[in-house]
Amino acid sequence: MESSTGNESQLRERSGAAVIMEALERHGIDTFFGYPGGVVLPLYDEMLNWPHVKHILVRHEQCAAHMADGYARATGRVGVCLATSGPGATNLVTGIANAMMDSIPMVCLTGNVNSWAIGKDAFQETDIQGITIPITKHNYLVTNVDDLPYVLAEAFYLANTGRKGPVLVDIPKDVLQKKTANPFPTEIKRRGYQLPPDPDPAQIAEAVAMIEAAQRPVLIAGAGVMWGEAFAELKTFAETNDIPVINSLLGLGTFPRDHELSLGMMGMHGEATGTLAVQAADLVIGIGARFDDRLTGDTKAFASNAKILHFDLDPAEVGKTVSPRAWVIGDVKATLGEINKLRTTQLSHPEWREQIRTWQAEYPLVVPEGKFLSRTVLRALNAHTNGEAIVATDVGQHQMWTAQFYKFKQPFNWMSSGGLGTMGFGFPAAIGAKFARPDDEVWAVVGDGGFQMTLQELQTAVEYGVNVKIALLNNGYLGMVRQWQELFYDNRYSSVAMGSPDFGKLAEAYGVKFFRCERTEDLDTTLEAARAHNGPVLCEFVVEMEENVYPMVPAGGSNSAVIMDPALTRVEPPEDVVASFETTHAPHHAPEPQLETAGANQ
Amino acid sequence: MSTAEIVVSQKHIVTALVQNESGTINRVVSLFRRRGFSLASFNAGDCEEPGLSRMTFIVEGDLSVVEQVLKQLIKLIDVVECSALPAETSVSRELALIRVQPTPAQRDSLYKLVLEFYGRTPGAQSDQIVVEYTGSVPEVEDVINALQPFNIVEIVRTGVVAMSL
Repeated sequence: MESSTGNESQLRERSGAAVIMEALERHGIDTFFGYPGGVVLPLYDEMLNWPHVKHILVRHEQCAAHMADGYARATGRVGVCLATSGPGATNLVTGIANAMMDSIPMVCLTGNVNSWAIGKDAFQETDIQGITIPITKHNYLVTNVDDLPYVLAEAFYLANTGRKGPVLVDIPKDVLQKKTANPFPTEIKRRGYQLPPDPDPAQIAEAVAMIEAAQRPVLIAGAGVMWGEAFAELKTFAETNDIPVINSLLGLGTFPRDHELSLGMMGMHGEATGTLAVQAADLVIGIGARFDDRLTGDTKAFASNAKILHFDLDPAEVGKTVSPRAWVIGDVKATLGEINKLRTTQLSHPEWREQIRTWQAEYPLVVPEGKFLSRTVLRALNAHTNGEAIVATDVGQHQMWTAQFYKFKQPFNWMSSGGLGTMGFGFPAAIGAKFARPDDEVWAVVGDGGFQMTLQELQTAVEYGVNVKIALLNNGYLGMVRQWQELFYDNRYSSVAMGSPDFGKLAEAYGVKFFRCERTEDLDTTLEAARAHNGPVLCEFVVEMEENVYPMVPAGGSNSAVIMDPALTRVEPPEDVVASFETTHAPHHAPEPQLETAGANQ
Repeated sequence: MSTAEIVVSQKHIVTALVQNESGTINRVVSLFRRRGFSLASFNAGDCEEPGLSRMTFIVEGDLSVVEQVLKQLIKLIDVVECSALPAETSVSRELALIRVQPTPAQRDSLYKLVLEFYGRTPGAQSDQIVVEYTGSVPEVEDVINALQPFNIVEIVRTGVVAMSL
């Protein structure tokens, strides 16, 4: 372990537990989430001396991790969770894996048995370092208290720089108790860890040339734009070069959804226009997005008419799933900034934009009237909150409908379990977000399945008076699983119908304000009442049981074979999206074509 | 079937310089397992710099696999540097210990054979003889084949270590 010595002249001895609290304070952690147990008692004792670093007592350690995750996604800062050894530590595992898949900056602290007892199968001993190796950016077992100040400083540094991610620090009980005078380092030096390079001018020049040559460009903006805080640069880039912007699931909010260039999300359940645009494009630019399988579908058919250009700070993402023609490695804010310096004249792709407007008119998202649907609820939630609330979800149908119908305008407002797809994530993440941003409206959108995985945190919300609203879409099924069983398993429903407790009585038992809404007519008053109440609210929306999410690209299928919503007047995708573009429009050397098609909705 | 799938997978030499800490070897090997990279051989040992180790991997796969291996390896905080070594500009060696149990009539021809391939016999106990051989992997394989008639009882191989020329 390299240790650069700090310049504090007064080296005072303090316990390992005090070192941890000092580290939290130094990194601006006002709130962290945890659950006590035997080996972390020295730390819980020390906490009483640090009232300004608030510890939130959860009801299950998994939720401590999800709350820290929500805290991070709502602020861009590091979230911190704490658990005891053994089962406490293993209960964090889902939350850590969730954060790893979505590159969330977190520091996870675990206690362990006394250092001399490690390896002896002591009570509540587990090898949490070994368990979490594949699901952390880095992890540590600290057996010498003198290493602790450096390790904690490095853990925060690693979590929150470069491609962010969770870092776990496992600390035996005796290390919490022993004393050290070692200061915190003034800088982190780690030979094996470099920050992203400055973008290479040659790569930038190649990117600029490709952008200037493109006739049918689209952008896919991912969460890297959010963590890299490159929103302004992205907006300038898209507007100057007249390029429509698609978001990955986790990229929602990095480009305002009400902007005329925004096409919303693409992927398995993305809006059809974005999917068709990628298939017809001659240039697809991925920015801070990792081209995951839910976005690309069959990679061989993905963007089959396009050159792919990839901007990312992680070289390992370039060429991992799709093969880009060119790329720029570096911080996306720097990359877009450099390109914006070079590409200043206004580009224009009127025919391409017109084609996109045509698709938007032909294949819009629809909310059929006459039934009380999840989509009805989410469209209303978006309207009531003006697309400006913080919204957290689990995984499944409700997640996809939220991504489709909630029109995020700002970053750091959307928290969803993207990579891991964790049921039970949304509610605790919303609690974490509310602690981080107490003045902002926070909604957890959950299904009846996911909510039953982490609803014990209602007690946490009540105890701390967390003003978070829960929109529970109760369709009596594990909806997405049911949809797959309907479409791909011949309607053979297996273990997918799900009973629930009486949520009204449950809310009453916890002391949570409750509303049940079963009809469209009551929707507005329910949402108004929920928003007006100061404190946690559970809104149960008893929605249509067998509602499917469309459009849909079946897993591993080609994006060109997207299944449209049967409620649309035209359900067939264009036969050949490139041909459809070329037949709709005159060649580029022709005079400006007459493009006044009806139904352009943007 | 795509061209990528019909390319016969090849063996590539990858080396890494790593900081030695709790869990380092676990972390490095875990990466190969978790991402489905095929690891034919692995060796780790001290190097010229205290606190650091040098590791040699033999990776099976096409060039895109090797590229991902390198990109994922360098992401590990413990890994200071890593590279793929082209076979033509590097030297790679493996050490094998082979315990044989020749018949009394075979003993002389065994010692003669070991001399011929520049091996050594560092020790023997009763009727068993340990043969030591260092060479490239194909040479080690050849030696093992040549020793088959002498009743091989046990084989230990270090895995490949390699260095650029």
